[in-house]
Amino acid sequence: MGANKARQGSHQGVCHMATILDKLRLDGKVAIVTGAGRGLGRAMSIALAEAGADIVAAARTEGQLEQTAQQVRATGRRCLVAPTDVTDSARVNAMVERAIAEFGRVDILVNNAGGVTTGYGKVLPDITDEEWRVGIDTNLTSAFYCTRAVIPHMLRRGGGKIVNISSGLGLRGGANNYMYPSAKAGLINFTRSLALTYARDNIQTNCIAPGVFPVTEQMVRFWRGGKYIPMGRLGRAEELGPALVFLCSELSDHMTGETLVMDGGGMAGGQAPTGLAPRIPL
Amino acid sequence: MVQKDFELTGKAALVLGGATSLGRALAVALAEAGADVAVTSCSQDEQEEAAVNATVDEVRAIGRRGFAAAIDVTDASQVDAVVQRAVDELGGLHILVNNPDLPFAKPLPEVSDEEWQRVLAANLTAVFLASRAAARVMLRQGKGKVINISSLLGERGVINSAAYCAAKAGVINMTRALALEWAREGINVNCIGVGFLDDVPGIGEDEALKVSLEHYLPMRRLAHSQEMAGLAVYLASDASDFITGQTIFIEGGALSHV
Repeated sequence: MGANKARQGSHQGVCHMATILDKLRLDGKVAIVTGAGRGLGRAMSIALAEAGADIVAAARTEGQLEQTAQQVRATGRRCLVAPTDVTDSARVNAMVERAIAEFGRVDILVNNAGGVTTGYGKVLPDITDEEWRVGIDTNLTSAFYCTRAVIPHMLRRGGGKIVNISSGLGLRGGANNYMYPSAKAGLINFTRSLALTYARDNIQTNCIAPGVFPVTEQMVRFWRGGKYIPMGRLGRAEELGPALVFLCSELSDHMTGETLVMDGGGMAGGQAPTGLAPRIPL
Repeated sequence: MVQKDFELTGKAALVLGGATSLGRALAVALAEAGADVAVTSCSQDEQEEAAVNATVDEVRAIGRRGFAAAIDVTDASQVDAVVQRAVDELGGLHILVNNPDLPFAKPLPEVSDEEWQRVLAANLTAVFLASRAAARVMLRQGKGKVINISSLLGERGVINSAAYCAAKAGVINMTRALALEWAREGINVNCIGVGFLDDVPGIGEDEALKVSLEHYLPMRRLAHSQEMAGLAVYLASDASDFITGQTIFIEGGALSHV
């Protein structure tokens, strides 16, 4: 498994020719990534920067964003640290304006901010209005705010790429887990509506639904190291980078409204916390 | 560098159904990304043979190895033989692209038993035969990428295409089943759901059909075969190692429709 580390340098014979791999480049593009301060958002920001994009890193915690920025700048790209509460539309609008003022353009929006919020694990009758609202705001409304703010700009510029980060839980439910799966499913269909609306404006909107990509040791333990995932392992944050770069590149220009599921086979056969999908006895 | 993750240097690929513009686009893209590529054509068709020979010439011009083989993809022994030849001549088999395609449209009552069998054999059984042959090699290697090419018609039905739609849907669910079967063997099985292409014989030459399809597609344009190539390279590369059992559509937004 793993990458073939034997290969080194560019492939012989084709290094001077433009190849399909060059179309993955995002040189000169500007990408806003929300939730960029840690975990998957940070990994995706770095991948976009490696592909050539300048990054607007948005999240609540400035200290974490600075660390992301450091790694983005290490690739030679620029990074604007934009501390933003993405559940506050005024702040989102200000963040997008600042991005345009700083870099002159926004080509890519990655709606990645989100997460499980207070109320997770409660039985439904105990969930408060506030818990419901925060869960939906964090995971779905934030994407609406950011997208609303960048769309006029993308239309003026003649196109763009929007990638929403949903979840395997956008495609299945979870017991005593309401806000996150509801919002993440909403994100998948939000993707489709955007795709349809701007299909002729050269704005492609797609979605990535990662399976289990733990960012804490606690999550690794909870998921038993991926024992019940068909592939037998958990996702790694850096695996999302290439998928995102592909969806932001010209190679995916005819693709819109799609949800790319990266889950080690979970959706192929049903992954349950109690075990693998049933095996037909031989 | 993220681009490196997509490189296919040192890998050997077999593209089944390499004579169409799509087969050619996929084969050339894999070669550009660094893979050696074998392509097959239908054994009874001289035009197809000429087309795959041209594709192999392109693969070689890029600096990769390759060969063309005219085979009947519904014949197990011929499929086994071409897989063996790929292993012998290209040093292994890491990527299998199942792109056999036999378009077929007819009202169901007029479809003969023989036609049904032929459409299912060419579009579905061929994928089984090639996957089985390739798996013997890939299971030994503990690594492999199977990329099935299905269609928008594997997910949505259309009038007068029951046999074709059934076969293409079969490919999508076979993708899921094989993905699970080999999830812990290092073999990824995924599928590209191809939208309507403007460079295939059926559609490309029929202006009225083309216009009606353009109206159906949210993007208001058909796809070129080349637009499937990037996804194929991604799915063939180590960059997609955690994706399996998935069908990813490139269809101009058609599946987002009400």
